[in-house]
Amino acid sequence: MSVAATEAPPAGAAGPAPPRRRFGMGVLATAVAAGLLVGFALAMVTIRPAAAPGEESAEAGFARDMIEHHSQAVTMGVEAFQRGATAQVRQLGYDIALTQQSQIGMMRQWLREWQVSPNTEPGEQMAWMREALDPALIRDGRMPGLATPEQMTALAEAAGTALDRLFMELMIYHHLGGIHMIDGVLERTDDPAVTWLAELMRDGQQRELTVMRDLLAGLDSPGP
Amino acid sequence: MTTKTNKGDRRNQPPIAAQRNKSKGGRKGRKPGAPVKVSQGRNWGPIMMFVAVGVIAAGIIGYAFWAQRDTGSLEWSDRAAAIEGIVDYRAENPEMLTNGHVNGQPLQYEVLPPVGGDHNGAWQNCQGNVYDAPIANEHAVHSLEHGAVWVTYNPDTLPADQVSELTSLVEGTDMMLLSPFPELDAPISLQAWGYQLKVDSASDPRINEFVRTLRLNASMEPGATCSGGITATGTVPQDVGDQLGG
Repeated sequence: MSVAATEAPPAGAAGPAPPRRRFGMGVLATAVAAGLLVGFALAMVTIRPAAAPGEESAEAGFARDMIEHHSQAVTMGVEAFQRGATAQVRQLGYDIALTQQSQIGMMRQWLREWQVSPNTEPGEQMAWMREALDPALIRDGRMPGLATPEQMTALAEAAGTALDRLFMELMIYHHLGGIHMIDGVLERTDDPAVTWLAELMRDGQQRELTVMRDLLAGLDSPGP
Repeated sequence: MTTKTNKGDRRNQPPIAAQRNKSKGGRKGRKPGAPVKVSQGRNWGPIMMFVAVGVIAAGIIGYAFWAQRDTGSLEWSDRAAAIEGIVDYRAENPEMLTNGHVNGQPLQYEVLPPVGGDHNGAWQNCQGNVYDAPIANEHAVHSLEHGAVWVTYNPDTLPADQVSELTSLVEGTDMMLLSPFPELDAPISLQAWGYQLKVDSASDPRINEFVRTLRLNASMEPGATCSGGITATGTVPQDVGDQLGG
């Protein structure tokens, strides 16, 4: 910007006319141009959205924790997609794994845009809604709804209908925990991007809860 | 402004007829005839300067407005509302837009082609797929939920060359699908979740406007895919995509 401003007068003075008056014009024009550039810069700054969520914000905490939360769902979903006994479970696993992996990308991008760390400080997991955590959704002090390593091993070793059943049981609990976190951030944010994704995530997971409960009921009902 | 006034004051005012040219030209002692052209020539300098500054200013201001207007993907719904003839069922009839999964049976839709509502657990593949025969509403609605734009046409009323135009619009573009829809009450109808636009011609510019505004933006499941679904035609829903071994 300063370059453009200082270059203007020589360009004006180089014209073919008498120097004195042209210099006045040049100064005036430079002043006008400089004023416009300053105004433009101010406009650019004010157009930019207000303060982005900070390092300690609920939004950043939610994004960091939900990325990790989603990544376990992706692992479970891929298990179901690859080895599910029924086509419905394979399809559900496919949908959950790819959708949540894509959402991980969206949340990572938030953290980049907000210029906050993608990494959780030790002991700070879920700190952004710690006072509101529902103990019924927590196993071994992990995030709400997360399966334990032992449960993940059991899933990896299960096969057939047992795999389908365990996948859906773990994923139902996982989604309940996820929805708890989503409700937590919605109570604490007015950021439009976070609100948009969180609400649609909650709707989607609630829909999948219905689907999984129906499929589980089908497994339990008379028949094979 | 001050500069100009000073110039005028500094000089003794010549007769009115000559004043304009003289004061601009700034040279004394010229004869009335010749100076006209000379001083006109001289005056281009400052004029050009102000024109240049004006153009730059207009450019900067214009760019600022354009940049501001064109960002903000969160305001896509406002842009959708501005499309002439679009029907917004999210506003008009939100109760219709349920989202349950219902497998193993055909479903009834209030609006045809449907723009939302309960649907089959399997979605129709919508990675720019061009279907040459009708597909099941139950799958296509699920694709809309994932964020796709479903382009439909009446195979009896839309000329073949316009079908080709629609094909080149859709083919190979993710989050788009095209299929014939017999009995359609317009030559062409576009669907996104909760939105519909009917047009008469494939060259109608509102088609691009609809796609640009609603594709992905209208998604109810951000991040959901168009792959892994049904790739077959036929209007009877079949529950599970062929890729997944249905």
